Amino acid sequence: MELTQVMEIATRIGELLLSSGAEIYRVEDTMKRIAKSYEVELDSFVMPTGFSATGKTSDGRIITCVKRIKDRTVDLHRIDLLNKLSRRIENEKLSYDEIVEEVEKIKRLPYFKYPLRIISAGFVAFAFTQLFNGEFLDSLLAFIITCVVYVVKEKISRLGFFQFFEYFLSGFLAAILTLIFKNYINAVNLDKVIIGSIMILVPGIAMTNAIKDALYGDLISSFARFGEALFIAASVGAGVGFALTLGLGWVML
Amino acid sequence: MGDAMKEFLLAFIGSFTGAILFNIERYNLVWAGLCGGFAWIIYKALFLYSSRGIYATFLAAIFVGLYSEIMARRLKTPAYVFSIPGMYPLVPGIMAFDTITLLVFGNLEQGINKGIETAATAGAIAFGILLSSNIYQILDKVICEGLKSKTKK
Repeated sequence: MELTQVMEIATRIGELLLSSGAEIYRVEDTMKRIAKSYEVELDSFVMPTGFSATGKTSDGRIITCVKRIKDRTVDLHRIDLLNKLSRRIENEKLSYDEIVEEVEKIKRLPYFKYPLRIISAGFVAFAFTQLFNGEFLDSLLAFIITCVVYVVKEKISRLGFFQFFEYFLSGFLAAILTLIFKNYINAVNLDKVIIGSIMILVPGIAMTNAIKDALYGDLISSFARFGEALFIAASVGAGVGFALTLGLGWVML
Repeated sequence: MGDAMKEFLLAFIGSFTGAILFNIERYNLVWAGLCGGFAWIIYKALFLYSSRGIYATFLAAIFVGLYSEIMARRLKTPAYVFSIPGMYPLVPGIMAFDTITLLVFGNLEQGINKGIETAATAGAIAFGILLSSNIYQILDKVICEGLKSKTKK
């Protein structure tokens, strides 16, 4: 295989891994191993927002690629499949076309159906409202609100607004819907319902992964992820706060 | 006991449905959910016993790391498939949100306190999981190599 082709495959798989939320060391390691199985020495510098990788053959030719990553989600199944693919590349030395086809297949693969994901988002809210000592009614409302918020959030993210606006609007919507319910049903615990229904928005996993990166020694990406988590928390908080300051007077009337 | 069962079930549902959002393999969903359920029960029991949240979280995270390494070995999948949904009930997402709202509404002192608690909790989880899974891997390697050298002799 040509050097350019090896680099294209390695960076493509690295890009997919990084945008599905893989750890930094995993991205670096995978790219390195893929290149190595075609006799290319690859060195990379990976950050959560992009990476640059340099490949070098034994006769001294060098190519450097830079990739920018815009959207980052958590998709563990995709990481799993890419891992398996990279292991297959190592063992079987697949050809360029085969690998491109496999990668495209992984990229297109939807796993769970959209309605199922909406319902599970609702159940997350239901379970955590109960765990935070909410009443049954609160959990039920959190279920409904989160389903709506999840649908809207997916819509917005498909429209391609910037990420923090997405979180701001989702938080705002969650709080406004809770206030509307509160207006009609007095027994609703406002804070419990809001906390339950923003459970799918808050950056708990992101925060923990940030520290995990630091423990692996990837300090720059650790700080980047920590900053991202903080800004997500801030946008959700701003959305909820905005809705509450708008609506609290109206509910108390 | 009834309360413990109920909380276990709720944490199970939380992890199970969270795992669907994180898109993991269908066959592993139940095992990921169990991880979350046990982690929450351990956390809750230790929290009620010692009333120290970060300590309880740390020990629960150690459990999550160990569980996911063992299950990863048995089911032949990477460990994070279990550890990320498993730590979902422990993770300080709401705490981070609280920090920001406290700061925004002017309660600076409480906000800073909450912020430090958030960072410490996240640190405890990350450190707990990495610690136990690394120890497991090292032990595994040592034991495997020991067995190999014995059979060679």
